[in-house]
Amino acid sequence: MSPERTLFEGDATAVVAPAYDGRVGILPRHAPFLTLLGKGELLVRQGAETRKFLVDSGFAQVAGDRVRLVVERAEVTSAA
Amino acid sequence: MAKTRALRRRIRSVESISQITRTMEMVSTSKLKRAQDRVVGARPYAAALAEVLGDLLDPDLAERFPLLRQPRPPERGGPRRAALLLVTSNRGLAGAFNANLIRAARERLAALEARGFAVDLLVVGKKGVNYFRFVRRPMTVTRVDIGDKPTAEHAAELATPLIASFEAGELAGFDVVFAQFKSALSTPPVVQRVLPIQGQVPVARTAGEPAAPPRPRGGQAANFILRPGADEILAALLPLYVRNQVYRAMVETAASEHGARRTAMKNATDNAGEMLDLLRRTYNRARQGQITQELAEIVGGAEALKG
Repeated sequence: MSPERTLFEGDATAVVAPAYDGRVGILPRHAPFLTLLGKGELLVRQGAETRKFLVDSGFAQVAGDRVRLVVERAEVTSAA
Repeated sequence: MAKTRALRRRIRSVESISQITRTMEMVSTSKLKRAQDRVVGARPYAAALAEVLGDLLDPDLAERFPLLRQPRPPERGGPRRAALLLVTSNRGLAGAFNANLIRAARERLAALEARGFAVDLLVVGKKGVNYFRFVRRPMTVTRVDIGDKPTAEHAAELATPLIASFEAGELAGFDVVFAQFKSALSTPPVVQRVLPIQGQVPVARTAGEPAAPPRPRGGQAANFILRPGADEILAALLPLYVRNQVYRAMVETAASEHGARRTAMKNATDNAGEMLDLLRRTYNRARQGQITQELAEIVGGAEALKG
């Protein structure tokens, strides 16, 4: 989600996010986790399909089976 | 007769005015809808940010983060500068909307100056800018280009320099005056202190907004793997929080503007209707009176001829 709106909400099989120090992959059953994000490409996999976003500064929070990406700037680069 | 002609002209002009106000009312209604969607769209982000900050925040941390620190008052060597951001609209015809905002800003300005601060005034919106230009109050930043679709970038442009000078210890505080969007009918001007960030972070919840979503309990922050570390994350997120508050102030003001205009235009349309009723009644009475009088004259003339 970005300050203006929620860009995507739904189920995912994997999330690859641009953390401040490199990309991090998040799969189901990941441990609770909170990291800063840098600038880069965010991938959300849903089975065979992948949504791509461009994000800049924010954080990712993993709690239970939910991943929350809160970013200051985000753009959809390719929908599923 | 002169009187009926004057009445007819007034009726026509009131009719066209009410047509304009009715149209403006409808335009505002549809703009309000969209502006409201933006207010709602901004909530999940704000809620998520406030929640994570709330989890990480700890009263002891205040001393280590300049954005949380309460600066010393000016008489004890603290900074003498403060900043006030006033958000108004670019257009008028919205009732007392802008006047209320300007009044709230002036009150805050006077209060700050009475405490010995030199206040940097930042004004968004043509109405506020024009007012302070009229009273010859210098403004440090004026923005009339934002309009009623503020973006997060606009907020960042306004807030980022202030965050920097606050961190550098040059700024004693940063307040925002904006119109809180309680509902389309209630848009009170609100003064909100943005810097230093107030102790309890989850603030500024609009009435009617659901409380923070239920979250999995159980020692939240403690159990998270934090990368890089709580301090670094806080340092990065606090400016986001400040910028988001400015963004929300602008979005809420934009929605409030349309709400206020819709109300104002609805009142104007209703008043025009009442006025038309009255004018039409007077006009018809005058017309009938004239006919009666002419008839009497004809009858009188005919009687005289019969002689």
